[in-house]
Amino acid sequence: MTSTASPTREKRTGRGPGRHGRGARRGLAWRMWRRCLRSGTFRTLGPFVPVVALWWLLDALEVFPESFFVGPPTVVDKLGELLEKGILPGYLSDSLTRLGYGVGFGLLIGLPLGFAVAMSRMVRRAFWPILLFFQAVADIAWLPIVIVWFGFSLTTVTFVLVYTIVFPLMLSVVAGVEQVPRELVRAARSLGAGRLRVFLEVIVPGALPSVAGGIRTGLGYGWRALVAAEIIVGTSGIGFMMFDARRVGDVSQVFLGMAVLGALWYALDALILAPFERATVERWGMVRAMEADG
Amino acid sequence: MTALKIDRLNKVYTDTYSGEEVTAIADVSFTVREGEFVSVLGPSGCGKTTVLNIVAGFVRQSGGTVVVDGRPVDGPGPDRGVVFQSHALFPWKTVLGNVVFGLRMRGVPRAERNATAEEFLKLVGLDGFAHRYPHELSGGMQQRLGVARVLANEPAVMLMDEPFASIDAQTRRKLQEDLTGIFESRRPTVFFVTHDVDEAVFLSDRIVVLSRRPSRVREIVDVTLPRPRRWQETAELPEFRRIANQVNDLLAGDENEAADGGARAGDAGGEPGAA
Ligand SMILES: Nc1ncnc2c1ncn2[C@@H]1O[C@H](COP(=O)(O)OP(=O)(O)O)[C@@H](O)[C@H]1O
Ligand SMILES: [Mg+2]
Repeated sequence: MTSTASPTREKRTGRGPGRHGRGARRGLAWRMWRRCLRSGTFRTLGPFVPVVALWWLLDALEVFPESFFVGPPTVVDKLGELLEKGILPGYLSDSLTRLGYGVGFGLLIGLPLGFAVAMSRMVRRAFWPILLFFQAVADIAWLPIVIVWFGFSLTTVTFVLVYTIVFPLMLSVVAGVEQVPRELVRAARSLGAGRLRVFLEVIVPGALPSVAGGIRTGLGYGWRALVAAEIIVGTSGIGFMMFDARRVGDVSQVFLGMAVLGALWYALDALILAPFERATVERWGMVRAMEADG
Repeated sequence: MTALKIDRLNKVYTDTYSGEEVTAIADVSFTVREGEFVSVLGPSGCGKTTVLNIVAGFVRQSGGTVVVDGRPVDGPGPDRGVVFQSHALFPWKTVLGNVVFGLRMRGVPRAERNATAEEFLKLVGLDGFAHRYPHELSGGMQQRLGVARVLANEPAVMLMDEPFASIDAQTRRKLQEDLTGIFESRRPTVFFVTHDVDEAVFLSDRIVVLSRRPSRVREIVDVTLPRPRRWQETAELPEFRRIANQVNDLLAGDENEAADGGARAGDAGGEPGAA
């Protein structure tokens, strides 16, 4: 018995010996350009080149007064200064610690609760109205009362973060469980899997694409809520740094803070979230790769 | 030995919105002997999938009994492996992971189940693909994997619901031949659902022809074609055409009766498409 079709896919073009019909003169420059496009650094940083260039241009042309708008060199100087003084690393680690706590507890609470709501009709009937009610009370709206309860502490920030992360996470778990094809559950059952095995081996991995999306969304919300909470609770952290700088009229620190927030989120996505999704959901062919040649 | 006994099966669906009742299966009885290949054939919508789902334990019948290996069916179980039209492979498991799934559920030790998996992957022509993921396989290969996954689990009966319906015509013929080959070498008990007459005749020992909904058994046709069967030779046999014609007549007769009974008022203007 022979197999009918081979699953080998067309290899990416551009590899190996050059294709026909291209002059040697153009060939070299073209190949270097292609290599450049393929390199990780270029793909990571390339898109920012025009943004930074525009920023620089606006600054150089002095479109805005200096107390309103600073350019890249000033921000880089500030970065060096704050790094040297140890302020930025300290604030950064404060912010990341809070994010870590918030996300950790958020996952610890949101995932089991999400699966409980998704799996049990009774739990769902009891929880759904409550879920919708509290989802409507915005995370930041909790700050006043939480500050009364816990003061300006890590607990307060963690509370708000957990609150922000749990709801999108739970909703994504419920959606994920619902989109597991019924036939997969049936297949597992008729291969001898009991309810627990069906849950662990079919429901959980089957819900993963949606759950991964929920974690991404939750983290994004959490990251923003963290900055907002730091501005209000205000003892340390990147959000505090930015707000405090505004108070003393140091725009360069505000710009630096914004750049750091964006860069950190991008790094989190590129270093943790995206590789996780590549190793699971994309590898299993459950979603199309985001980039054509990823 | 009787592997599967279906007795006076009846199924009424109740629409959740309108509360309307639809009798999908009126009264269906037949048996499948151990090592026999039995097809259930009928027009689309006559309740073939419903019968299979009841045997699999996915759906509960309104009346009648289903007995597999002497035990009445109560929910899904590993004695009734199902091959789905949609393949229903686990995308997060490799080919090997899919094949050993049933054995793992039964607690078979790793070395033993890997040996079994190798044997069955070879049987369906997927040796060398053990570490691929299902989405990397063609539709035909995916369905071979679906068959291997069930057979490796050694069920009392293998249930197949139009397993080749979503596969292109060329590949389908090959898969049918391969399934026949597997059946002839290992003699599993197979309950096969299809609406394709030639497929049913080519594969089966017996064909249970159902009427339109609400379905009853119209006739059970013995297929006495010699084995091993190959499309080229088997389809040439006069006996093949005779049985196929007989089955076609049974299905057409059902249509005519329905028309005579006035069920198809819209067709009163005469035979459409007559040359
Ligand atoms: N879950 C269901 N609820 C209501 N009606 C159903 C359901 N499943 C099938 N039916 C109806 O029962 C009849 C038989 O369906 P099915 O068993 O899928 O037929 P087949 O497989 O022969 O095409 C159809 O008329 C279909 O609409
Ligand atoms: Mg069907």
